[in-house]
Amino acid sequence: MDVHRLVGPVPFDDLPQDPRPEMDRLGIHRACVTHTLSLYSDVRAGNEALLALRDPRLLPVPVLLPAAGEPVPDRDVPMVRLCPARHRFELTGPTAVRLLAELGVTAAVELDETSPKELLALARMLPGQRLLLLNPGYRRLRAVAELMAEIPNLWVEIGTVNTQRGVEWLAGRFGAERLVFGTGAPVLDDCGPRFLLDHLELPQADIDLIAAGGSLLGSTR
Amino acid sequence: MILDAHGHLGTWPDFLIPDPSADGMVTLMDRLGIDAIGISHLLAVGPSAEEGNRLAFAAAERHPGRIGVWQVYNPHQRNRLTDQGVWGVKIHPDVHECALDDRRYDPVWELGLPVLAHGQTGSPWSDPAQFAAVARRHPGVPLLLGHAGLWQNGFHRAAELAGPYPNVFLEICGSKMTGRWIARLAGLIGADRVVYGSDSCFLDLRTGFGRVVLAPLEDADRALILGGNLARILEGRLP
Repeated sequence: MDVHRLVGPVPFDDLPQDPRPEMDRLGIHRACVTHTLSLYSDVRAGNEALLALRDPRLLPVPVLLPAAGEPVPDRDVPMVRLCPARHRFELTGPTAVRLLAELGVTAAVELDETSPKELLALARMLPGQRLLLLNPGYRRLRAVAELMAEIPNLWVEIGTVNTQRGVEWLAGRFGAERLVFGTGAPVLDDCGPRFLLDHLELPQADIDLIAAGGSLLGSTR
Repeated sequence: MILDAHGHLGTWPDFLIPDPSADGMVTLMDRLGIDAIGISHLLAVGPSAEEGNRLAFAAAERHPGRIGVWQVYNPHQRNRLTDQGVWGVKIHPDVHECALDDRRYDPVWELGLPVLAHGQTGSPWSDPAQFAAVARRHPGVPLLLGHAGLWQNGFHRAAELAGPYPNVFLEICGSKMTGRWIARLAGLIGADRVVYGSDSCFLDLRTGFGRVVLAPLEDADRALILGGNLARILEGRLP
């Protein structure tokens, strides 16, 4: 299960719009997908295109835009994605907090779209909110570790945890169940992370757990 | 033969590297079937070229045939270079704040060894255009354009700029590289001009290696990228 893939066109490159052929080639059976229109054009149009896919291999992760007049996803989805920097809203603003409380689903956000300070604040405001940190990168491992220590409901995507034995370092401190396989493909690389997943120096049960979405997706509605 | 062109040992100040050790590196290489990696010590890339190079040679001595040395040249410290027992010279124009085509790097080119240089599209210090300028001045020096320019929006341009200079090779490590881009670069400049590197321990060896293993490449091209090209560049310098 790749918890972070895109479907649709991007404005800055010629990339496959359909993730399924590459998923097949790399042995990725399912993916949580967000439509690129929601990121690079119109949130509503992207979400509509996403929810029209209706492929059981592709779990829709619509983008939540906490703004007046914007629709809130009403279909059963595993999580929503928020882009506070791209869409210029406050992650801990009253609208975002109220919508997240009402939805009660996992909220996925890229680390570069917010800050550790904002994530800590959100977790204090909504202690039961499940958070998935996308694209954490490798340069802020210390900050990511602090977030994992302080926010029990925070999971981390490992595709960009790309410094030597960084994934094992996080797993040793917080448990493999807090880590999930994800790539950010096709903008980000899926080949290296897919290979890394098979070569982690962790018990096979832990690798299987990370591959399946950690403990995050098992209990998401 | 599988050869990793771009490796490091040691720590780096602005982020945590959980395993910066040579022993940890070689353990991973054993698991993956990587024959040898060329490293520079991050202390040498940073504030002390002389001492960092000494640590790199010590690691190579502990792991004969598995760890090769890219000795770092710092143009401000003007440290000694050797042409014996090394893969070549590593320079990092961005850390040194000295442009790749600055004459203060002339001792590097005059040595005539292969050179691995950090490359970064748009940087005032290491833009791919500066690699073209140096390659024109020193056509006999094999020059590895590190990270193929680092940023995705510069990969295509890096291949175009390097193309006319057969002594320039695109080295492909970096957090923005993708398997798809590796295949594209091979198509643009030729697989015989693309060289695998991982940037391990700075980055995870498995991710960089796996990116090439799983890239959508023909097997013959993959073999060139994973070691055939570097073996040719290092001819006579490998054990």
